[in-house]
Order: sequence, then structure tokens, then C-alpha cells
Amino acid sequence: MLSVLVENMGLLCSRNRRYTAADAEENAQTEEIERRIEQETKAEKHIQKLLLLGAGESGKSTIFKQIKLLFQTGFDEAELRSYIPVIHANVYQTIKILYDGSKELAQNEADSTSFVLSNEHKDIGEKLSEIGGRLDYPRLTKELAQEIETLWKDPAIQETCNRGNELQLPDCAHYFMENLHRLSDTNYIPTKEDVLYARVRTTGVVEIQFSPVGEHKKSGEVYRLFDVGGQRNERRKWIHLFEGVTAVIFCAAISEYDQTLFEDEQKNRMMETKELFDWVLKQPCFEKTSFMLFLNKFDIFEKKVLKVPLNVCEWFKDYQPVSTGKQEIEHGYEFVKKKFEELYFQSTAPDRVDRVFKIYRTTALDQKLVKKTFKLVDETLRRRNLFEAGLL
Amino acid sequence: MPMFLPSKRDGVAGFEGSGDGQVLDLETAVKDGVLGGVAGVVGTGAVVGEKLDLKKMIEELDLAEIPSVFICPISLEPMQDPVTLCTGQTYERSNILKWFNLGHYTCPTTMQELWDDSVTPNKTLYHLIYAWFYQKYLLMKKRSEDVQGRASELLETLKKVKGQARVQALKELQQVVATHATARKMVVDQGGVAVISLLLGPFTSHAVGSEVIGILVNLTLDSESKINLMQPAKISLMVDILNEGSIETKINCTRLIEKLMEEKDFRSEIVSSHSLLVGLMRLVKHKRHSNGILPGLSLLRSICLHKQVRNLIVSIGAVPQLVELLPSLDPDCLELALFILDALSSLPEGRLALKDCANTIPNTVRLLMRVSESCTQYALSILWSVCKLAPDECSSVAVDAGLAAKLLLVIQSGCNPVLKQRSAELLKLCSLNYTDTIFISKCKLTRTIQ
Repeated sequence: MLSVLVENMGLLCSRNRRYTAADAEENAQTEEIERRIEQETKAEKHIQKLLLLGAGESGKSTIFKQIKLLFQTGFDEAELRSYIPVIHANVYQTIKILYDGSKELAQNEADSTSFVLSNEHKDIGEKLSEIGGRLDYPRLTKELAQEIETLWKDPAIQETCNRGNELQLPDCAHYFMENLHRLSDTNYIPTKEDVLYARVRTTGVVEIQFSPVGEHKKSGEVYRLFDVGGQRNERRKWIHLFEGVTAVIFCAAISEYDQTLFEDEQKNRMMETKELFDWVLKQPCFEKTSFMLFLNKFDIFEKKVLKVPLNVCEWFKDYQPVSTGKQEIEHGYEFVKKKFEELYFQSTAPDRVDRVFKIYRTTALDQKLVKKTFKLVDETLRRRNLFEAGLL
Repeated sequence: MPMFLPSKRDGVAGFEGSGDGQVLDLETAVKDGVLGGVAGVVGTGAVVGEKLDLKKMIEELDLAEIPSVFICPISLEPMQDPVTLCTGQTYERSNILKWFNLGHYTCPTTMQELWDDSVTPNKTLYHLIYAWFYQKYLLMKKRSEDVQGRASELLETLKKVKGQARVQALKELQQVVATHATARKMVVDQGGVAVISLLLGPFTSHAVGSEVIGILVNLTLDSESKINLMQPAKISLMVDILNEGSIETKINCTRLIEKLMEEKDFRSEIVSSHSLLVGLMRLVKHKRHSNGILPGLSLLRSICLHKQVRNLIVSIGAVPQLVELLPSLDPDCLELALFILDALSSLPEGRLALKDCANTIPNTVRLLMRVSESCTQYALSILWSVCKLAPDECSSVAVDAGLAAKLLLVIQSGCNPVLKQRSAELLKLCSLNYTDTIFISKCKLTRTIQ
């Protein structure tokens, strides 16, 4: 004990005492760690935080996947394979919703005959509905796929599909139903497109860090993108992410004006999005945050707006069509866009009017479009940075 | 009558660089062109004379610095038909004949009496003048063709390139078009407007969009081009760029939109955009750059002419912001701002907003009889709307601000009768709450004189 004391006394009083190799190494390590910490703290400051917000099924996760595909290494085979159970689950869920839906419509609708299946199809339907109700889904075999296709082609099911907005039919329904043979192949490996269409309700938070490398290879901004769950019960987790956000990418699926929420079938989805956007805009921590509004699912909107009038949604009740075809689609889109613009300015206090607010028309499934859109977002954020640094 | 006019040499072949432009270096003149090096200029004087009229060249060139020997001492203009008197002095034929017709038989510059009233055409001098102008003309044409050629090249480039190359080509085209009228015409004639309008779309970057707008704003746009530019996606882009761009870009966007509004059948819903109006107000209130105020107000005024949009303008809070601006504006801007406020006062919401803004009355009263008759007219109209809306509340504020004295001034001035009538009515309205004596005391004229 005394010897230790004597040894250590020396350490305290005389700096120039023997400096062992061990000491030197320890010091070097500490220095290295400190340097690393300093570097990372500096780097952290340059990382721009982007937050994907929006109601459930608005396309946030699809955008997230697109960014991964565009600016990171994309999906390797293992990752692609990991989506097989998800895709198969989507298939079972879809056919179950359609079958159960047809039964309900056959009972309640005045014109019930159009929803009645043939007897043998009923059997298939019952079987698939039972499978779809399990917690674990079986692998999609060729036989099962064949049965599903038979059911899908039944006119009653097709008719039910037309009423898809009243059921909670996912948007990927058509796509997967049209590709059943490929999906059920024993050596099936999902394509990028399959992965983009695959639907899983996000829970919790997911993040990726990326640097969009364009023509300005050296001045790559570093972004950290956060994806969250959009359903109501997930939103309480959002607040933890609200600090220090550079930009909020708010996704609004404009095709949903005639649909109701998964978590509340009495509530119109567009109305929910409206209220949510309003709430997000008013958050105190977003005072200086840039807002990028993605009016998403334009591809579905295009087809729907000519068949289902916008006025079915209360927010759009003052809409008046002016023409037909492409012009009408554009007119409808501009109307929706103006509504969101109006909402933005109504929900924004005068002292916040200077924050960046831009609206983009997107189809999250289209990689080229997402790339172009993100290029513009990047340009806007870069200009904003320069502006705030006083250089513009 | 000055004999020797100062003139500058600007590299014309054959003329020496020193002195006052009267020395002719024959060798260089012959070699480089004044006297015949240029393809058959002087030798076949008659032939060339047919092709290019001297008068036309002089007019087109509109040069400020011409060699003094070419200038007629009477008119100080370049001579087109020089004639020499017996004294050896040369003048423009029409001018010297006019001199003679006035009864003078002297040489204007030497004051000598003429012993011979003949005027001899000075062919040599004519040829020199012609050749000199011709050369200048060729140079100008070449320069202009260079510019036109460049503009044409750039247009072709723009049809092919993308990315940074596109931005660079646009930047250069913008500069060329801004400085040369010939380039502007060339771009329009070659269908350039359609080519660059195509570059505007929902995925256009700020860099490209701002340059395109900078070019379009300098060109004359025909009806079809304007209608093409009025597509919602393009207008959206212009509004976004207006909100995000530099002050020059903001002004360009503003002026372009105003140009588009001139088109008949312009649909007002194109400009009933929150983003546009908020952006314009921001431009008008810009603290650092005041050159945006006039274009901003000008566009707002044009927008105000569309009744359907007025409500939107009021709803974004434009009224108090404009009222606060009034004291700092110069006369042109004031007239626009007052026009806008007056137009907005035609709406109940507008009147309410005017009434609720504390500085409406003081700021407008101050402007009566201060700037111009139109300003007084608009200010009066605004005051009338506000006081009519809430006579009790407003008339006292107005009178305290010195309104009564100002109104008396208007009535006594040389303004048009309608204005005087209005003033009289307003005066009566304001006086209703006061007894005669108190009211008269409120009409202190000294305040206005100050």
C-alpha cells in the first residue's frame, strides 16, 4: 500500500518522472477519442434533420424507401428477400378485405346481386378469409395464388373493388393482384417496385443518413431523414423528434378525399390530414422550420377525380368542375393545392410567414419523379442556408 | 458660328489620331477603305448610292461624334449634299440656300461679301462623308449580327443541353438580350420565346427558372406566348421564384406577371394566390431594397382591378401594412398605394380593416393637398369610407388630425368640382358631432400652413 502511495505521489508532484509506454498509449487514446468527439459534434451541426410527417398511408415510408434507393446503396438481395413475407401478407389481407367486403355489401346493399359470388367461389373465399385472419400467414404457394386469382376475377369481387374506398383496401391491392403468378414463384425475389408497393404500418421511428450527390459533388449536404408511423396512436411519439428540424416533409395523399381512416371509420381521411397539417404548422418548435408539402398519390388522384367529385369531401364542398379530361384534372389539382395554401397561411402566425413553404406534386412510387422532386427540395434548402448565413 | 468643332477619332481608317479630325492620311485611307478599299464604295458612287441611302445611315447610326469637316456650320448636322461657295467654305445646300433666301449674300463663317453667287457641289467631300458613314454602318451591322448570331447560337444550345450548361447558356442569353435590342428581336423572331417557356415547369430549378424569367421580361410577348405562360404550373413556379429569389429576380417576376395580366381574358383566379400576394407585400415592405416597391405596388394595383381578388388581399392583412408604409413612399408609389387602399375600401372587409388601423386617418389626412390631385382624390375617398362607417368614432380622430382645415383648403383650391363636393360632404359629416364654435376652432388654418 505504501509503495503504491509513494509511486503515485511521484506522479502528482513531478511531471517529468518516468513516462511509461503505457501512459503514452493511454494519453494518445484519450486524445484520439476527444478528437473524434469534437469532429462528430462539429459534423452533427452540419447534419440537416428532415422529418417525414403525415397521416397514415400518406406515402411517408414509400418516400423513405425511395431515398434509400436513390442515395444509399439501395436494397441488397437479403433486404429484398426480407420483404417477401410482407408482400405475401399484403396479398392475403387484400383478398380477405375484398371477400368480407363483398359479403357485407351483399347483405346491406339494395342492389345486392352484384355482390354475390358463385357457390364454389364462396368456398374459396371462406378459406382465404380464414387464412387472412390468422396471425401468421402461410407462404404463398402456386395453388393458393391460383385460388386467389380465381376469386379476384369474380365479377362480384371486382364490383366490391369499385367500392374500395368504403373498405380499408390498401392502394397496393391492384398491383399485387395483377402479379400473383410472379409473387408465388418458388424462387421469387421481390423487385424494387414490389418493395415500394409493399405496405407495412410503420411503428416507432426509422432513420437514415444520406448525402445527395449531384452536380455539386463536393458541396454535399448531409441529411438525416426520419420516418414515423402516421396513425393516431403513433403520433404521440412524434413530439420527441421535433427539436432542431431543418425541414418537415409533410405527406398528404390527395387521392383520399373519399376514404375514411383505418383507426376511425367515421372520419374522412382528408379532413384528418387537414387537421393534422394545421396542428403541425402551429407547433412552437417549427417556428423557423421549412415546410415541404408533398401532395402525394397524384397517379390515383388523376383517375379518381374524373369519377368521384371532390365535393364529397367537406373541405372541398365549394368545388365546381369546369371542363373534362386533362384540363379538369389540372383544375381539380389546382383547387386542392389552393386549399392547402389557404390553410397554411391561416395557420401561420405573422411572425412565421417568412419560413419556407413549398408545395410539390408527387407520386411516391415513381422513382424518377421522386428524384426530381428531391433535387428541388435540396436546392431550396441549400438556398435557405445561404440566405440565413447572409450570403444571398 | 464655330469653325472648328471638336471631334473624336474612333479608329476610322485614314484619319489621324491627333488634332481635330481634319487630317487625312491618304495611304491608310486607300488601303483600309475610306477612299475605295471597301468594295467599290467610292468608285461606283452611283451604284452604292442606290443601295444605301446616306440619310438613312446617318439616322440609323445616330452617332454623337462625327468629324468636324463633315458638319455644316449652319445646322451643325452632317452634310448630305455639301456645296462650296466662292470663298471656299462648304455648307449643306438647303441651309445655304435658305440663308440666301433670307436676303444675305455673305459667307456665314467668313462674313465676306460674295462676289459670285454660284454654289458648287463638293463631290469629293460628299464621297468622303458617304464612305465614312458607310464604314461605320458596316461595323454596326456586323456587331449587331455578331450579337444576333450569338443569340441564335444560344437558342440552339438551349434546345440540347441540361444542367449547369443550361444555366450558363441562359445567363449569357439574358445578358445579350438585356443589352441589345437586335438580339431581342432575333430571339422573338426565331421562336425563342416558346423554346425558353418550355423550360418552365413543375420541376424547374430556381437557377434555371430565374434566368428564364429574366429573359422573358425583356422580350415582347405575343398573345399566344402569354397564354402559354399563364398555365397554372408555370405561374406557380413564378410565384415560388418571386418568393425565394434575389431582389432583381423578384422584380423580374413581378414585371412579367404584370405583363401577362395585360392580356385580355386574363382570368383573375391566376393571381388569387396567397403566396403571390404575401410575396408582393413582402417585396413592398423590403427594408434593404427599395427598388422593389414600385413594381410591387404596380402589380398589386393591377390585381386590385379584379374585384374577386380584393377580398383575398384584405384577408392577408395588406391594409394595415400599406397604411404603415404611406409616410415613407415617394409620389409615384403613393399614388399606387392610395389607389389600392381606395379600391379595397369598396369592400366591407376593407373598410373595416381601414377603420381598425390606427394610422389610417392621420396618414391619409397628412396626404391631402400634399402630393397630387389623384392622391388627394383617393385619400379623400378612403377618409369618406372610413368616416361613413363609424362617424362618431372616426370623425373626432379625423378632426383632431387636422382634417377640417385640409378640407377647407380643397374646397378653396382649383381642384375639380367633384372633389370639392366630396370635401364639402365630408366636412359636413365631421361637423355633425361638434357645435359650430368648437368646430371652427378645430379648423385652425395655421396647422396646414405648417
